[in-house]
Amino acid sequence: MSRTRRTNLVAGAALSVLAFAGLFPYLFMLAASVKDNEQFFASYWSPAWPVHLDNYAVAWEQVSPYLFTSFVVAGLAIAGTLVLAPAAAFVFARYRFPGRGALFGLIAALLMVPSITSLIPLFVLMRDLGILDSRLVLIIPHVTGNTVFGIVIMRTYMAQIPEEIFEAARVDGAGGVRLFLAFMLPLARPVIGTVALMTVLGVWNDYFWPLLTVQTDEFRTIPAGLAFFANQNVQQWGPLFAGYVLASLPLLALFTFLSKWFLAGIQGGIVSGK
Amino acid sequence: MRGSSIVTSTKARRRLPWGVYLVLLPTFALLAAFAYYPALNGMVHSLFEWRPGFESPFVGFENYLTMLGDDLWWASFRNIGVIFVWAVTLMWVFPLLAAELVMSLSSERLRFVFRTLLILPLAFPAVVNVLLWQFMYDPRDGVINSLLRAVGLDGVAANWIGDPDTALVALMTIGFPWVASLPFLVFLSALQNVPAEIYQAAEVDGAGRLRRFWSIDLPMMLRDVKLLFVLAVISVLQYGMQAHIMTKGGPDNATQVPVLRMLDAAFLDTSWGYAATLGTVLFALTLGVSLVSLVLGRKAGA
Repeated sequence: MSRTRRTNLVAGAALSVLAFAGLFPYLFMLAASVKDNEQFFASYWSPAWPVHLDNYAVAWEQVSPYLFTSFVVAGLAIAGTLVLAPAAAFVFARYRFPGRGALFGLIAALLMVPSITSLIPLFVLMRDLGILDSRLVLIIPHVTGNTVFGIVIMRTYMAQIPEEIFEAARVDGAGGVRLFLAFMLPLARPVIGTVALMTVLGVWNDYFWPLLTVQTDEFRTIPAGLAFFANQNVQQWGPLFAGYVLASLPLLALFTFLSKWFLAGIQGGIVSGK
Repeated sequence: MRGSSIVTSTKARRRLPWGVYLVLLPTFALLAAFAYYPALNGMVHSLFEWRPGFESPFVGFENYLTMLGDDLWWASFRNIGVIFVWAVTLMWVFPLLAAELVMSLSSERLRFVFRTLLILPLAFPAVVNVLLWQFMYDPRDGVINSLLRAVGLDGVAANWIGDPDTALVALMTIGFPWVASLPFLVFLSALQNVPAEIYQAAEVDGAGRLRRFWSIDLPMMLRDVKLLFVLAVISVLQYGMQAHIMTKGGPDNATQVPVLRMLDAAFLDTSWGYAATLGTVLFALTLGVSLVSLVLGRKAGA
């Protein structure tokens, strides 16, 4: 056996063990999500037939409101972010004006304020505004957070786009708004996609805020909702795991079809300290 | 309206570009209300006995003095200290090993397959990961105790998250072997960026695999390791979701962490001013770490 082949075999075997260990809880979840309680105990370690898809029907009843709210919150947060961030980033990247550096510094400084450390005063503010226990209270922090992050990364991206592209359009008499809408926005699609994906990841991973601000069950997003769901279904293994699978599907779909943006979103999210 | 003012601003640079400020106005209005104001308000009210909706008397530094004597608060720092040490040692070793193994595969295709399988857990929501591990630790039906019983180690089976001696380790073991993580992605891309010529030269010089790791791979990754280190400090200061779902800081405060202590101060003890104090201190610590790393990074870069 050649040396490369042996290296491949050893490395492949070790990597298989690591991958299996990492994926095991999820594989167990998939298998257990289609078992009834009897099958769960009788064939604990292996898949069992017949499959009980009715677990998914039971779980769907309880988890679908959380999914729906998560989609609404993510969708509106993306809309809000995309109304604000690209235009502001464009202005910072392409215009010179008094106070540009200071204003951008003010925005970038917010990257250093972790959302958890202003949770208490933000909660009191929402209380004073009387919007606790609504979908709006969930949307606003995602719009603020992603607008800040979006402006910072979009500005970098937009500043790198060569000026010549705009020069020609400007000669043709295109104004700032037209330059932005017809040229910059299409060119900035990748970075806009990253910000949108980060918003979705943020909604699917933000636990404390929905947990503390919302009591109405159907207003819960996935993280707080699923934790509640887990407490409601103790020992109901099949439906419990089916619910976990359902809650995971949207992110899994994004990972499958947009893996590049997905990973950029994860790295960006962690780097920005969220 | 908005458009025409931007156009004037580009054509006639001498005049103040009002259009530009008009574009930024809604963003700054939003940030003023929901980012700057709460952040500053929290710091201000750390000096008050804050009673939302009622009159809040000014108490000076009393909350900060309370914090100095708050044993739970300091115990929570001991716990995140332990978590931090674990996070930058064990939780890096496996990703690093995995990255090296992936890069030692000779086929592009295999590399892609294993990379995808290794990071696949990242595609699941964090809360699902924690809830699945909560099940793994279940004393009666969980995977870990079932496995121990299956191999005859009934005596070892334990109530992992219910016992103060094991609860913290159980929390830190969530996600084992931690390959689906930012460190793995960072290590892997650092290794991919090592020019092939360097490896070839090393091979010509007769450097073995270990030698290559110490002399080439590690120095190449040093910058990224520094970044990961800072991120680990910052994220451990914000650690809380896993602990809240699994243990709520218990049993017997064995898994108490600063974030949970802060939330308990507000939502259980309704000491909002004290909670604002703890939040302010956490913020100051995070900011301090970020600034120190920025300064050090700039020095190293110069």
